[in-house]
Amino acid sequence: MAGSHSDPLAHPEVRQGSAMRYIAGFVSTVVLMGAALIVTMRHDLPYQSFVELVGGLAALALFSQATLFYGLDISRAQIWKGVSLILTLPLFIITVGLTVWMFQSLNQRTMVMPTSAAAASQPTLLQ
Amino acid sequence: MANETAPTANTQLFRPGYHGHNQISARTLGFWLYMLSDALLFTALFASYAVLDTPMNAAGGPVASQIVNPIEGFWQTIAVLGSVTCYSLATVAMKNGKRGGTAVGIIAAIVLALVFLAFGVNDLATLAAHGDGMDRSGYLSAYFVLILTHAIHMGVGILWMLVMLVQIPLFGFNDMVVARMLNLRMFWQFQATIWVCLYVYVYMIGA
Repeated sequence: MAGSHSDPLAHPEVRQGSAMRYIAGFVSTVVLMGAALIVTMRHDLPYQSFVELVGGLAALALFSQATLFYGLDISRAQIWKGVSLILTLPLFIITVGLTVWMFQSLNQRTMVMPTSAAAASQPTLLQ
Repeated sequence: MANETAPTANTQLFRPGYHGHNQISARTLGFWLYMLSDALLFTALFASYAVLDTPMNAAGGPVASQIVNPIEGFWQTIAVLGSVTCYSLATVAMKNGKRGGTAVGIIAAIVLALVFLAFGVNDLATLAAHGDGMDRSGYLSAYFVLILTHAIHMGVGILWMLVMLVQIPLFGFNDMVVARMLNLRMFWQFQATIWVCLYVYVYMIGA
Protein backbone atom coordinates (compact mmCIF):
# COMPACT_ATOMS: atom_id res chain seq x y z
CA MET A 1 0.00 0.00 0.00
CA ALA A 2 1.18 3.46 -0.74
CA GLY A 3 1.57 6.00 2.03
CA SER A 4 -1.13 8.40 3.15
CA HIS A 5 -1.68 11.63 1.22
CA SER A 6 -3.64 14.69 2.28
CA ASP A 7 -4.27 15.66 -1.36
CA PRO A 8 -6.11 12.82 -3.12
CA LEU A 9 -4.78 14.00 -6.48
CA ALA A 10 -1.23 13.35 -5.22
CA HIS A 11 -2.01 9.64 -4.83
CA PRO A 12 0.38 7.49 -6.93
CA GLU A 13 -2.49 5.83 -8.79
CA VAL A 14 -3.73 9.26 -9.87
CA ARG A 15 -0.22 10.44 -10.77
CA GLN A 16 0.48 7.34 -12.87
CA GLY A 17 -2.20 8.38 -15.40
CA SER A 18 -0.56 9.40 -18.67
CA ALA A 19 -2.18 10.48 -21.92
CA MET A 20 0.68 9.06 -23.99
CA ARG A 21 0.41 5.67 -22.31
CA TYR A 22 -3.36 5.45 -22.82
CA ILE A 23 -3.14 6.48 -26.46
CA ALA A 24 -0.33 3.93 -26.96
CA GLY A 25 -2.58 1.30 -25.34
CA PHE A 26 -5.41 2.17 -27.74
CA VAL A 27 -3.20 2.16 -30.84
CA SER A 28 -1.35 -1.06 -29.97
CA THR A 29 -4.56 -2.98 -29.20
CA VAL A 30 -6.30 -1.75 -32.37
CA VAL A 31 -3.25 -2.66 -34.51
CA LEU A 32 -3.01 -6.14 -32.97
CA MET A 33 -6.73 -6.77 -33.39
CA GLY A 34 -6.54 -5.44 -36.95
CA ALA A 35 -3.74 -7.92 -37.70
CA ALA A 36 -5.83 -10.72 -36.20
CA LEU A 37 -8.80 -9.62 -38.33
CA ILE A 38 -6.68 -9.77 -41.51
CA VAL A 39 -5.52 -13.29 -40.61
CA THR A 40 -9.16 -14.27 -39.96
CA MET A 41 -10.48 -12.87 -43.23
CA ARG A 42 -7.77 -14.50 -45.37
CA HIS A 43 -8.81 -18.05 -44.34
CA ASP A 44 -5.52 -19.45 -45.70
CA LEU A 45 -4.06 -21.08 -42.58
CA PRO A 46 -4.78 -24.53 -41.16
CA TYR A 47 -7.18 -24.31 -38.19
CA GLN A 48 -4.51 -25.12 -35.57
CA SER A 49 -2.03 -22.53 -36.90
CA PHE A 50 -4.82 -19.98 -37.22
CA VAL A 51 -5.88 -20.47 -33.57
CA GLU A 52 -2.28 -20.23 -32.38
CA LEU A 53 -1.56 -17.06 -34.39
CA VAL A 54 -4.77 -15.26 -33.44
CA GLY A 55 -4.40 -16.41 -29.82
CA GLY A 56 -0.84 -15.07 -29.76
CA LEU A 57 -1.97 -11.69 -31.10
CA ALA A 58 -4.71 -11.60 -28.43
CA ALA A 59 -2.15 -12.43 -25.73
CA LEU A 60 0.01 -9.53 -26.92
CA ALA A 61 -3.03 -7.22 -26.86
CA LEU A 62 -3.83 -8.31 -23.28
CA PHE A 63 -0.21 -7.75 -22.22
CA SER A 64 -0.32 -4.31 -23.84
CA GLN A 65 -3.49 -3.49 -21.88
CA ALA A 66 -2.01 -4.75 -18.61
CA THR A 67 1.02 -2.49 -18.93
CA LEU A 68 -0.38 0.53 -20.79
CA PHE A 69 -3.99 0.72 -19.57
CA TYR A 70 -3.86 -0.79 -16.07
CA GLY A 71 -0.27 0.39 -15.55
CA LEU A 72 0.69 -2.84 -13.78
CA ASP A 73 4.31 -2.85 -12.66
CA ILE A 74 6.36 -3.73 -9.61
CA SER A 75 6.10 -0.31 -7.97
CA ARG A 76 4.97 -0.22 -4.35
CA ALA A 77 1.56 1.16 -5.35
CA GLN A 78 0.90 -1.60 -7.90
CA ILE A 79 2.74 -4.69 -6.73
CA TRP A 80 -0.23 -6.37 -5.01
CA LYS A 81 -2.41 -5.99 -8.06
CA GLY A 82 0.25 -7.75 -10.13
CA VAL A 83 0.71 -10.48 -7.54
CA SER A 84 -3.03 -11.15 -7.21
CA LEU A 85 -3.37 -11.24 -11.02
CA ILE A 86 -0.51 -13.73 -11.36
CA LEU A 87 -2.07 -15.91 -8.67
CA THR A 88 -5.45 -15.78 -10.42
CA LEU A 89 -4.19 -16.54 -13.96
CA PRO A 90 -3.80 -20.30 -13.27
CA LEU A 91 -7.44 -20.36 -12.13
CA PHE A 92 -8.53 -18.99 -15.52
CA ILE A 93 -6.47 -21.61 -17.35
CA ILE A 94 -7.63 -24.46 -15.10
CA THR A 95 -11.30 -23.45 -15.40
CA VAL A 96 -11.35 -23.25 -19.19
CA GLY A 97 -8.78 -26.00 -19.83
CA LEU A 98 -10.31 -28.64 -17.57
CA THR A 99 -13.84 -27.88 -18.71
CA VAL A 100 -12.91 -28.19 -22.38
CA TRP A 101 -10.86 -31.34 -21.70
CA MET A 102 -13.70 -33.01 -19.75
CA PHE A 103 -16.32 -32.24 -22.36
CA GLN A 104 -14.01 -33.18 -25.21
CA SER A 105 -13.70 -36.63 -23.63
CA LEU A 106 -17.46 -36.76 -23.12
CA ASN A 107 -18.08 -35.59 -26.66
CA GLN A 108 -15.85 -38.24 -28.19
CA ARG A 109 -17.39 -41.06 -26.15
CA THR A 110 -21.08 -40.20 -26.15
CA MET A 111 -21.95 -37.59 -28.77
CA VAL A 112 -21.61 -39.66 -31.92
CA MET A 113 -22.31 -37.30 -34.79
CA PRO A 114 -23.59 -38.53 -38.17
CA THR A 115 -20.70 -38.58 -40.66
CA SER A 116 -22.39 -36.09 -43.02
CA ALA A 117 -23.01 -33.56 -40.22
CA ALA A 118 -19.45 -33.94 -38.95
CA ALA A 119 -18.02 -33.41 -42.42
CA ALA A 120 -20.12 -30.31 -42.98
CA SER A 121 -19.25 -28.73 -39.68
CA GLN A 122 -16.43 -26.31 -38.98
CA PRO A 123 -13.80 -27.36 -36.43
CA THR A 124 -14.19 -26.07 -32.87
CA LEU A 125 -12.12 -26.51 -29.74
CA LEU A 126 -14.09 -29.67 -28.88
CA GLN A 127 -13.32 -31.35 -32.19
CA MET B 1 3.68 -5.82 16.97
CA ALA B 2 4.12 -5.45 20.73
CA ASN B 3 1.99 -2.27 20.77
CA GLU B 4 -0.98 -3.91 19.00
CA THR B 5 -3.93 -5.07 21.05
CA ALA B 6 -5.31 -8.56 20.55
CA PRO B 7 -8.19 -8.69 18.04
CA THR B 8 -11.67 -9.02 19.52
CA ALA B 9 -15.16 -9.50 18.12
CA ASN B 10 -15.32 -5.72 17.67
CA THR B 11 -12.03 -5.40 15.81
CA GLN B 12 -12.45 -3.43 12.59
CA LEU B 13 -10.56 -4.58 9.51
CA PHE B 14 -10.93 -1.20 7.86
CA ARG B 15 -12.05 2.06 9.46
CA PRO B 16 -13.09 4.83 7.08
CA GLY B 17 -11.44 8.12 7.99
CA TYR B 18 -8.59 6.59 10.02
CA HIS B 19 -5.50 8.36 8.72
CA GLY B 20 -3.30 5.30 9.29
CA HIS B 21 -5.00 3.68 6.32
CA ASN B 22 -4.58 4.97 2.83
CA GLN B 23 -8.25 5.24 1.89
CA ILE B 24 -7.71 5.32 -1.87
CA SER B 25 -5.21 2.43 -2.01
CA ALA B 26 -7.43 0.24 0.18
CA ARG B 27 -10.43 0.89 -2.02
CA THR B 28 -8.64 0.34 -5.33
CA LEU B 29 -7.00 -2.90 -4.17
CA GLY B 30 -10.35 -4.16 -2.85
CA PHE B 31 -12.03 -3.31 -6.13
CA TRP B 32 -9.22 -4.96 -8.09
CA LEU B 33 -9.82 -8.19 -6.16
CA TYR B 34 -13.53 -7.92 -6.94
CA MET B 35 -12.65 -7.54 -10.63
CA LEU B 36 -10.54 -10.69 -10.56
CA SER B 37 -13.55 -12.58 -9.22
CA ASP B 38 -15.67 -10.97 -11.94
CA ALA B 39 -13.09 -12.21 -14.45
CA LEU B 40 -13.62 -15.73 -13.10
CA LEU B 41 -17.34 -15.33 -13.85
CA PHE B 42 -16.44 -14.58 -17.46
CA THR B 43 -14.01 -17.51 -17.46
CA ALA B 44 -16.89 -19.82 -16.53
CA LEU B 45 -19.01 -18.34 -19.33
CA PHE B 46 -16.16 -18.80 -21.84
CA ALA B 47 -15.77 -22.41 -20.70
CA SER B 48 -19.53 -22.98 -21.19
CA TYR B 49 -19.35 -21.36 -24.61
CA ALA B 50 -16.42 -23.58 -25.60
CA VAL B 51 -18.41 -26.66 -24.58
CA LEU B 52 -21.61 -25.63 -26.36
CA ASP B 53 -19.92 -24.39 -29.55
CA THR B 54 -20.55 -27.57 -31.57
CA PRO B 55 -23.01 -28.37 -34.39
CA MET B 56 -24.64 -30.92 -32.04
CA ASN B 57 -25.49 -28.18 -29.54
CA ALA B 58 -26.68 -25.87 -32.30
CA ALA B 59 -29.59 -28.33 -32.65
CA GLY B 60 -30.16 -27.49 -36.30
CA GLY B 61 -29.96 -23.77 -35.61
CA PRO B 62 -27.18 -21.39 -36.64
CA VAL B 63 -23.57 -21.93 -35.55
CA ALA B 64 -21.00 -19.22 -34.83
CA SER B 65 -19.82 -18.83 -38.43
CA GLN B 66 -23.40 -18.04 -39.51
CA ILE B 67 -24.11 -15.32 -36.95
CA VAL B 68 -20.86 -13.46 -36.23
CA ASN B 69 -19.33 -10.78 -38.41
CA PRO B 70 -15.64 -10.13 -37.61
CA ILE B 71 -15.60 -6.83 -39.52
CA GLU B 72 -18.56 -5.44 -37.59
CA GLY B 73 -16.91 -6.77 -34.43
CA PHE B 74 -13.81 -4.74 -35.32
CA TRP B 75 -15.88 -1.52 -35.30
CA GLN B 76 -17.16 -2.54 -31.89
CA THR B 77 -13.55 -3.11 -30.82
CA ILE B 78 -12.61 0.42 -31.89
CA ALA B 79 -15.68 1.84 -30.11
CA VAL B 80 -15.00 0.08 -26.79
CA LEU B 81 -11.26 0.82 -26.88
CA GLY B 82 -12.02 4.44 -27.80
CA SER B 83 -14.43 4.68 -24.87
CA VAL B 84 -11.84 3.24 -22.48
CA THR B 85 -9.20 5.65 -23.80
CA CYS B 86 -11.55 8.65 -23.42
CA TYR B 87 -12.37 7.68 -19.83
CA SER B 88 -8.68 7.09 -19.06
CA LEU B 89 -7.88 10.53 -20.49
CA ALA B 90 -10.61 11.93 -18.22
CA THR B 91 -8.60 10.64 -15.26
CA VAL B 92 -5.53 12.41 -16.67
CA ALA B 93 -7.59 15.63 -16.64
CA MET B 94 -8.54 14.77 -13.04
CA LYS B 95 -4.82 14.44 -12.24
CA ASN B 96 -4.41 18.01 -13.46
CA GLY B 97 -7.42 19.14 -11.39
CA LYS B 98 -9.52 20.03 -14.46
CA ARG B 99 -13.19 19.30 -13.79
CA GLY B 100 -14.31 20.39 -17.27
CA GLY B 101 -11.80 18.16 -19.03
CA THR B 102 -12.78 15.26 -16.81
CA ALA B 103 -16.46 15.74 -17.66
CA VAL B 104 -15.73 15.96 -21.41
CA GLY B 105 -13.73 12.71 -21.28
CA ILE B 106 -16.52 10.94 -19.41
CA ILE B 107 -19.20 12.15 -21.84
CA ALA B 108 -17.11 11.02 -24.83
CA ALA B 109 -16.65 7.63 -23.15
CA ILE B 110 -20.42 7.32 -22.64
CA VAL B 111 -21.16 8.18 -26.29
CA LEU B 112 -18.69 5.59 -27.62
CA ALA B 113 -20.00 3.00 -25.16
CA LEU B 114 -23.53 3.61 -26.46
CA VAL B 115 -22.27 3.12 -30.04
CA PHE B 116 -20.72 -0.19 -28.96
CA LEU B 117 -23.94 -1.29 -27.26
CA ALA B 118 -26.05 -0.27 -30.26
CA PHE B 119 -24.07 -2.68 -32.48
CA GLY B 120 -24.43 -5.53 -29.99
CA VAL B 121 -28.11 -5.00 -29.21
CA ASN B 122 -28.90 -4.72 -32.94
CA ASP B 123 -27.16 -8.08 -33.59
CA LEU B 124 -29.04 -9.86 -30.82
CA ALA B 125 -32.39 -8.27 -31.73
CA THR B 126 -31.94 -9.28 -35.39
CA LEU B 127 -31.18 -12.86 -34.40
CA ALA B 128 -34.20 -13.00 -32.07
CA ALA B 129 -36.44 -11.50 -34.76
CA HIS B 130 -35.46 -14.38 -37.08
CA GLY B 131 -36.45 -16.94 -34.47
CA ASP B 132 -32.87 -17.54 -33.36
CA GLY B 133 -33.25 -16.27 -29.83
CA MET B 134 -31.45 -17.54 -26.76
CA ASP B 135 -33.94 -20.40 -26.30
CA ARG B 136 -33.35 -21.78 -29.84
CA SER B 137 -30.37 -23.97 -28.91
CA GLY B 138 -27.72 -24.60 -26.30
CA TYR B 139 -25.19 -22.83 -28.48
CA LEU B 140 -27.33 -19.71 -28.84
CA SER B 141 -28.01 -19.70 -25.08
CA ALA B 142 -24.25 -19.61 -24.42
CA TYR B 143 -23.76 -16.95 -27.11
CA PHE B 144 -26.53 -14.66 -25.83
CA VAL B 145 -25.48 -15.04 -22.18
CA LEU B 146 -21.83 -14.25 -22.96
CA ILE B 147 -22.66 -11.18 -25.06
CA LEU B 148 -25.39 -9.96 -22.70
CA THR B 149 -23.26 -10.36 -19.57
CA HIS B 150 -20.62 -8.13 -21.12
CA ALA B 151 -23.31 -5.68 -22.30
CA ILE B 152 -24.79 -5.50 -18.79
CA HIS B 153 -21.33 -4.70 -17.42
CA MET B 154 -21.08 -1.92 -20.00
CA GLY B 155 -24.50 -0.63 -18.94
CA VAL B 156 -23.43 -0.57 -15.28
CA GLY B 157 -20.28 1.33 -16.28
CA ILE B 158 -22.34 3.94 -18.15
CA LEU B 159 -24.60 4.35 -15.10
CA TRP B 160 -21.54 4.74 -12.88
CA MET B 161 -20.13 7.42 -15.21
CA LEU B 162 -23.42 9.34 -15.05
CA VAL B 163 -23.18 9.24 -11.24
CA MET B 164 -19.62 10.59 -11.42
CA LEU B 165 -20.78 13.41 -13.71
CA VAL B 166 -23.06 14.47 -10.84
CA GLN B 167 -20.60 13.86 -7.99
CA ILE B 168 -17.61 15.72 -9.47
CA PRO B 169 -19.32 19.15 -9.53
CA LEU B 170 -21.07 18.42 -6.21
CA PHE B 171 -18.09 17.25 -4.13
CA GLY B 172 -15.00 18.14 -6.18
CA PHE B 173 -12.01 15.79 -6.24
CA ASN B 174 -12.15 14.59 -2.64
CA ASP B 175 -10.95 11.17 -1.40
CA MET B 176 -14.23 9.41 -2.15
CA VAL B 177 -14.69 10.84 -5.64
CA VAL B 178 -11.07 10.17 -6.61
CA ALA B 179 -11.27 6.57 -5.36
CA ARG B 180 -14.49 6.03 -7.33
CA MET B 181 -12.96 7.53 -10.46
CA LEU B 182 -9.93 5.22 -10.15
CA ASN B 183 -12.13 2.17 -9.55
CA LEU B 184 -14.28 3.07 -12.53
CA ARG B 185 -11.12 3.40 -14.64
CA MET B 186 -10.14 -0.17 -13.74
CA PHE B 187 -13.70 -1.39 -14.31
CA TRP B 188 -13.90 0.29 -17.70
CA GLN B 189 -10.48 -0.96 -18.82
CA PHE B 190 -11.59 -4.40 -17.71
CA GLN B 191 -14.51 -4.23 -20.17
CA ALA B 192 -12.02 -3.70 -23.01
CA THR B 193 -9.98 -6.67 -21.79
CA ILE B 194 -13.05 -8.91 -21.75
CA TRP B 195 -14.08 -7.66 -25.19
CA VAL B 196 -10.66 -8.53 -26.68
CA CYS B 197 -11.09 -12.12 -25.37
CA LEU B 198 -14.69 -12.25 -26.60
CA TYR B 199 -13.89 -10.77 -30.01
CA VAL B 200 -11.00 -13.13 -30.65
CA TYR B 201 -12.71 -16.25 -29.39
CA VAL B 202 -16.28 -15.75 -30.61
CA TYR B 203 -15.93 -13.46 -33.63
CA MET B 204 -12.60 -14.61 -35.07
CA ILE B 205 -12.06 -18.23 -34.12
CA GLY B 206 -15.78 -18.84 -34.62
CA ALA B 207 -15.91 -17.12 -38.02
